[in-house]
Amino acid sequence: MKQTTIGGNKRKLMNGLAVALLVVIFIAYMFPFLMVVINSLKQKRDIIKSPFSWLFTIKGLSFDNFVKAFTQMDFLNAFKNSLFVTVSATVLVTLLAAMLAYYIVRNKNKLSDLTFALMVASMIIPFQAIMIPLVSIYGSSLHVLNHRLTLIFMHTGFSMAMSVFMFHGFIKGNIPIALEEASCIDGCTHTQTFFLIVFPLLKPIISTMVILNSMAFWNDFLLPSLVLSDKALLTLPLSTYSFYGTYSADYGTIMAGLLLCVIPILILYVILQKQIIGGVVAGAVK
Amino acid sequence: MKSTKRVKDFCMFGLPGMICFFSVVIIPFVYGVYLTLTDWDGVAETKKFIGLRNFGGVMQDREFWTSLILTFEYVIVVVLLVNVLAFAIAYLLTRGIKGQNFFRAGFFTPNLIGGIVLGYIWQFVFSRAFVNIGESTGWGLFEISWLSTPGKAFAALVLVTVWQLSGYMILIYIAGFMGLSEDVMEAASIDGASGWKQMVHIIMPLMMSSITICLFLTLSRAFMVYDVNLSLTAGGPYGTTQMAAMHVYEKAFTSRKYGLGQAEAFILFIVVACISGLQVYFTKKQEVEA
Amino acid sequence: MKGKVSGKGIALALTTTLLAASLSGCTFGFASDPDDPNEVVEEIPIDTSVDTFQYDSSLRGTSITLLNSKAEIQVALEKMSAAYEEKSGVHVEIMPVTEGDSPYTKVVSLYNSGNPPTLAILDTTDVIALAAEKAQDLTDEPWVAEADGYVTEIDGRVYCFPLCIEGRGIIYNKAVIEGALGRTFDPAAIKTQTDFVNLLEELKAAGIRRPVSMAKEDWSLGAHHLQYIYELYDGTTAGAQEKVEEIKAGTLDLDSYDRLHDFLNMFDILKAYNVAQGDPLGADYDEMAIDLADGKTAFWFNGNWAWTNLAEAGATATDEYGFLPYFMNDDESDFANQKIQASPSKQVMLDRIVADEKQQAAAKEFLNWIVFSEIGQQMLVKTCNVIPPFQNNPYEPTDPLSADIYDKVHNDQAFNASVIVPNDHWAVLGAAMQKYLADRSDKEELIDSIGDYWAQQK
Repeated sequence: MKQTTIGGNKRKLMNGLAVALLVVIFIAYMFPFLMVVINSLKQKRDIIKSPFSWLFTIKGLSFDNFVKAFTQMDFLNAFKNSLFVTVSATVLVTLLAAMLAYYIVRNKNKLSDLTFALMVASMIIPFQAIMIPLVSIYGSSLHVLNHRLTLIFMHTGFSMAMSVFMFHGFIKGNIPIALEEASCIDGCTHTQTFFLIVFPLLKPIISTMVILNSMAFWNDFLLPSLVLSDKALLTLPLSTYSFYGTYSADYGTIMAGLLLCVIPILILYVILQKQIIGGVVAGAVK
Repeated sequence: MKSTKRVKDFCMFGLPGMICFFSVVIIPFVYGVYLTLTDWDGVAETKKFIGLRNFGGVMQDREFWTSLILTFEYVIVVVLLVNVLAFAIAYLLTRGIKGQNFFRAGFFTPNLIGGIVLGYIWQFVFSRAFVNIGESTGWGLFEISWLSTPGKAFAALVLVTVWQLSGYMILIYIAGFMGLSEDVMEAASIDGASGWKQMVHIIMPLMMSSITICLFLTLSRAFMVYDVNLSLTAGGPYGTTQMAAMHVYEKAFTSRKYGLGQAEAFILFIVVACISGLQVYFTKKQEVEA
Repeated sequence: MKGKVSGKGIALALTTTLLAASLSGCTFGFASDPDDPNEVVEEIPIDTSVDTFQYDSSLRGTSITLLNSKAEIQVALEKMSAAYEEKSGVHVEIMPVTEGDSPYTKVVSLYNSGNPPTLAILDTTDVIALAAEKAQDLTDEPWVAEADGYVTEIDGRVYCFPLCIEGRGIIYNKAVIEGALGRTFDPAAIKTQTDFVNLLEELKAAGIRRPVSMAKEDWSLGAHHLQYIYELYDGTTAGAQEKVEEIKAGTLDLDSYDRLHDFLNMFDILKAYNVAQGDPLGADYDEMAIDLADGKTAFWFNGNWAWTNLAEAGATATDEYGFLPYFMNDDESDFANQKIQASPSKQVMLDRIVADEKQQAAAKEFLNWIVFSEIGQQMLVKTCNVIPPFQNNPYEPTDPLSADIYDKVHNDQAFNASVIVPNDHWAVLGAAMQKYLADRSDKEELIDSIGDYWAQQK
């Protein structure tokens, strides 16, 4: 008994220390983001001369950068494009990757082994190495560039490996086969078992993957820049191009544009975080 | 009967994902490998088959091997720091600390800043903030910009990568910790295992699958570092921080030696594949089967 | 629980504030400064009342694309294309080269995607790499005669349209020099390297301890500084190219090449008075503009493109800025000490592979429209704010730096030597120059690097 109390006090102390440490690291992590927020409100000269100064010391502080970014980016149209591409690709990849991972975990055969090995290996292919072959296959041979659907398909393909990898690890570690065997006895088909029993149990990893994938799709620059060139189709990151000059970049507007781009992701994260926390896994594993 | 069901299962579950993956990643990659065997320069209408001559060129490109060695050093430091830090932070953030969700949102922010802004902001930090500190305190460490001496520029690159990647890995570790049963943790503490023992003997083995994933991801991402390299140091000062991926890109597009660049990318791929393969093999062995 | 609320709360509050602000366009807190440099985006009106250009009506409805690698004129080009479309009925879609892409990478990927731009604004080395495979021969176009001296010939043919002239040298801020010295400053009085050093010493004595800014960027060091060793050989393209060939062939001994040593002497002088001498590789490009505008420095080695940065830093079009030559020695009769380098920099290439006949004709008409129509002439100078390489263009650029280059070009105080070096010249030798700038290598090592680089190009 005595020991546990001491342990309890010690734990409290440790927790206190941990929180203090966390706060310090936290500030270091947040710092660059704060810099973006603060400097997005300044004019370029102030950004360069006094990047660290707080708002009240700067003259001419305003939301002008946001207004400029908003109009020059054709924000609403770009937002619509980004939203369409990101949501479709995220839904697609989450569903397909979960299914494929489930198939690989539950069907040990040469094909599934090979696919999984290829996927793991493919995650280290430098994108630059397939960039040119990719556009020449889809452009010169298939003529399907400059469509949002092509971009969605490519996003899905590129994030497939990583998503399968993550789902694979989770299913293997956290979804007991006993559960499915039980449902088999109840007469469920595989499809039913997957959608009714397995898929809901994947909630924590799904929310993580939705966050990671949607963030990657939303912020991606290189792939969309290869696929889309029609102005009406540009996504948010592509639409900030006019802020970058050869010798001079418009930093205030760039930062305002960046914030306009990331805010939707931030909101998504805050909402999904609840899901991660409310994960049902702990209960299911028992 | 059973085999048709199997085929149906495969078509339902396996096929769609595989089609996406193969047509977007594997086919272009194979085509890219074929290109390394030609003299194609990226624009010409015709390609001539030249066998392994490009790979001979790689052997002679001393800078490629220098950049590869530098990349190795960088990867080792980054992988260690990122995982220790992300694991520790994720652990603390799943212990029910007051305001932990607020913290989580903060640790997420590195994921939000990319591209040129990332490099610009950090240049502020290294060339202004640190130099200001140096001026007011007289500390030699901060006297001149970190980005202007090779060793410190390397350190700066590591620091920024750790900042950025750990933000990502924290998310995965948090998901891992959330997946651990509370009972295990409770049981461990009732057994009287001290904090450290509990960590090493009970939590770590259960977290092995997350650790495998994070190690693999940090390893591959660190090897492929390009964005941060370009926007923070651009390989400077005087080319001393040019990592392999950046060298490959420069070879292909700045030096206009497309076939050579492609061949170097392929060699980089093989190297990383071997190393990550080994890593996954060894960490998988440690995993506890659920 | 509380944490959950605050995390979400912060994000939402942030979002709503920012969105609300951007939508309503409100200005926050302080009234904006009337002298705010960021607000001088004045628009010079274009007179469209006179237009004698002959449009080919059969091209109406044709649609072409123009890949723009000069991001700062993106908006201007869009205006130009709109003005042209209104008159000709030809639609010119302006495609930007985006962040992180080099123009060459972009154009290569577009060719591979089977969707190349009809016209592409590229660097000269890019055109040379692409000409034989992809470019349309423009030798017989009417504008060629107007661009005399500024067309780049490849195997005796013209494959590209020079969009603008850019010049570089040592930018001075006249007001700063006069303020420090207390007397009028006549740039023409500085005729030799020694004159320049004396001026620097005077400024030093007057309180500007280190009056020079020099960029640490590899493109500045590797291309803009170092290429003087070829270009200043005799100030002609042919002469520069001849030197490059000799160095490549190994017949020119770099150790005894006088222009290389002249160049290094001048570079050393700039180095000695560099404002960032304590940490030359920590210098910030944007800060240099501010230092020059504020008078912390008096000189900045750069080109007329730096005006954007100076304007952002607070310089106005009525301020007196101009260029001094890159003084090579003390010989007053040496052209290098009298003239500054001004040459065509961005080239427009026309695709012959994918573009159909009508598109090619429309593209050719658009280029001629820029050169010959009253509207095109005005817009090239006033809207795009570039120095036109065409003799028939009567308009003069308005910003002080471009105006100074323009004057020098028209008063025989400029030379045009467009040397063609391999595309990685600036990157590889820029690194060697950085090392030398930071005093981490000596002249010998630098000269060896230059020799090694060229030895590998055979």
